[in-house]
Amino acid sequence: MPFLTCAQPQVIDGGPTRDSLTPLGPVDTTASPRREGVSPCLGHPRVTGEVPHAMEATPWDPDDVELRLDADGRLTDEAEPAAGQREHSTNASSLDLRALYKAMVRARCLDLALARLGLPMWAPSAGEEAVTVACGTLAAPEEWIFPGSRDIAVSLTRGADLDDLFVQLLGLRRAGPPGTAGAPDRRVAQVPETLGLHLPLAAGHAHAEKLAGSRRATVALLGEGLCSTGYYREALSLAVACDLPLVLVCKSQVWPDGAPMEAGVFGDGVSVRARSMGLWSRRVDGADPIAVAQAVERALTRARQGHGPALVEAVVTQMLHKDAPAHRDPIERLRRHLDHTGVWTATFQDVIEAEIRGHISRAQERAQERAQERGHELGELEGGRDA
Amino acid sequence: MTTVLDILSTTLAALLREDPRRLLLGEDCRDGGMLGLSRAALDDPELEGRVLGTPLTPASAVAHAGGLALAGRRPIIALPSAAALLEGLAALRELARGGQLAAGHGEHATGDVLLLAPTGYGFGLGGDHAASFESTLALAGARVIALGDTSEAAALLRAAADLDAHSGPVVLLLPRSLLLETVDPDALYESLPRELHAARPVRGGADAVATVFCWGDTVARAIAAAERTGFDVAVVDVASLAPLDTPALIRAARETGKLVIAHSGAPRHGVAAELAALFADEAILYLDAPIVRVAGARELRYPAEADACPSVHAIADAITRVVTY
Repeated sequence: MPFLTCAQPQVIDGGPTRDSLTPLGPVDTTASPRREGVSPCLGHPRVTGEVPHAMEATPWDPDDVELRLDADGRLTDEAEPAAGQREHSTNASSLDLRALYKAMVRARCLDLALARLGLPMWAPSAGEEAVTVACGTLAAPEEWIFPGSRDIAVSLTRGADLDDLFVQLLGLRRAGPPGTAGAPDRRVAQVPETLGLHLPLAAGHAHAEKLAGSRRATVALLGEGLCSTGYYREALSLAVACDLPLVLVCKSQVWPDGAPMEAGVFGDGVSVRARSMGLWSRRVDGADPIAVAQAVERALTRARQGHGPALVEAVVTQMLHKDAPAHRDPIERLRRHLDHTGVWTATFQDVIEAEIRGHISRAQERAQERAQERGHELGELEGGRDA
Repeated sequence: MTTVLDILSTTLAALLREDPRRLLLGEDCRDGGMLGLSRAALDDPELEGRVLGTPLTPASAVAHAGGLALAGRRPIIALPSAAALLEGLAALRELARGGQLAAGHGEHATGDVLLLAPTGYGFGLGGDHAASFESTLALAGARVIALGDTSEAAALLRAAADLDAHSGPVVLLLPRSLLLETVDPDALYESLPRELHAARPVRGGADAVATVFCWGDTVARAIAAAERTGFDVAVVDVASLAPLDTPALIRAARETGKLVIAHSGAPRHGVAAELAALFADEAILYLDAPIVRVAGARELRYPAEADACPSVHAIADAITRVVTY
């Protein structure tokens, strides 16, 4: 399957191609997608040719994951209605896929904008949007979310004020680590500077929800690297021992050559180990926004109904791997699906991007002006403290 | 007569009854807790849901309480030992900075938690179990209060639990040597006769020739030492180790100009050094002798628990040294 296993996105049938790292302009349908800097997302070619369903998995595709959208963006249930999957795979239609897609594109645009800011210690999160957007969308407005340091898309998805996000991102108001910005008015907690501390904080918050009988869940996001920490283990212990309505959503990266030991994904993986500790857990493909959303939704519902803590492990491919195949990108995969169902059009894409990019650049300019007024530029050493 | 532990247990139950936001947490809390501090609360069926047993999670206990506080609760954690806070230091630091984690979290602040921490010698544990960590905790930015007088046990716990009156995490250090003492319930203060952050003058007056600053389990020893010397010696219980009641402490230092700082725990890099620096800064023209510090051993080895604190003899020697300087 040349298309799905190719190292770089290829044009099939000369569909529209965009370079998302360049400012939005007219779509150049003749430009070569192979040029330097082509984003593995948003710039993916439109697939119009027939792609068979029985595709071989690439080294980038995780094993043992729940899947609703295949690599080509077709619902697996339609293609192959497995009896065992039916009971919990019914709700693809109840998800607003159009809104989900928009939120993911917005998240990617913000990530690309942040990449250009040169924030110290900042790490991109392209490829993880299915997770952040599912959490931001499916948690009820009054339910708190405790994001990790790469989850600014949660604040964005929850409708946080972009001006305020950039004020925090540029350090005009001290928040958490670089690249993070809480939105307490949207029930998105600040990210603590201590790595992983948000997990026991979230456990405490979930504990309060339980004591109050609020029937609300508390959500915390993490990367698989945290799974080796005491905070993670202790948060799980608290969640199980106190039967907390805590939903942990873990983004496990997939490495085509196997995960390094220091990545924290030892043994049978995060979800299996969580289950052995007594949590309800599911492992889904993070490149499949529908599977992620459904698993998160189920975890939330359980927690709200008093059935205790849950962990959803979404196996993601970070888009900073330039050789990752296009179908590992959750945005591209959902785009393919929406394309099949006639929802996605180039104009639809242009409108979403133009809107969010305009908002981002205006918020960024305003924050940068304020930073200049204050007399210190990002990246410059501020003077020592005046006694 | 009743023990200080019983007084604290009864007061905790009363505190839970008075404010439904309050929770009592800790390992074994459902069985009375390691010190029996939750026993009285467990006797009250109405408090059933607010005495919470939590698994042993030393790194996360403080953050867990912070999450509860964020949601509007007022958690009180009964720790097995102040040493348990060492693993939770990062969380304590984060909560103490309040503004950031709690910024904009509405009317709640994540830092509003009370940590009850038995400290120092007294249970015959020896070794590091008898160590004093107040300087480390103060460094983390927490409010650190030490019980120095058994008759204040209930009042100090009440004041420390009044989290509306002060923001950020409060560590109430309970010297083990005081916890097992018996007190006359009629002699107890009902409410603290001073602010929580205030130092407590214990002894001495206008004609004092030297001042001993001390706290926690050393207060009684300092009083005994002062009496033993025969000099008119003022004793000040620093009580609030962080923040320090600097104006009152400076005033007390200036009054005699001959200062001894006595405390349990290691002599270096601690609250005593901070006090000495403060007096050098603010009372240098009043000093008539070097500032002398007397402390416990630098290193504690089981079972030599007595090394954890300075002896009455050592404190009396230090007083004599500064008075006759």
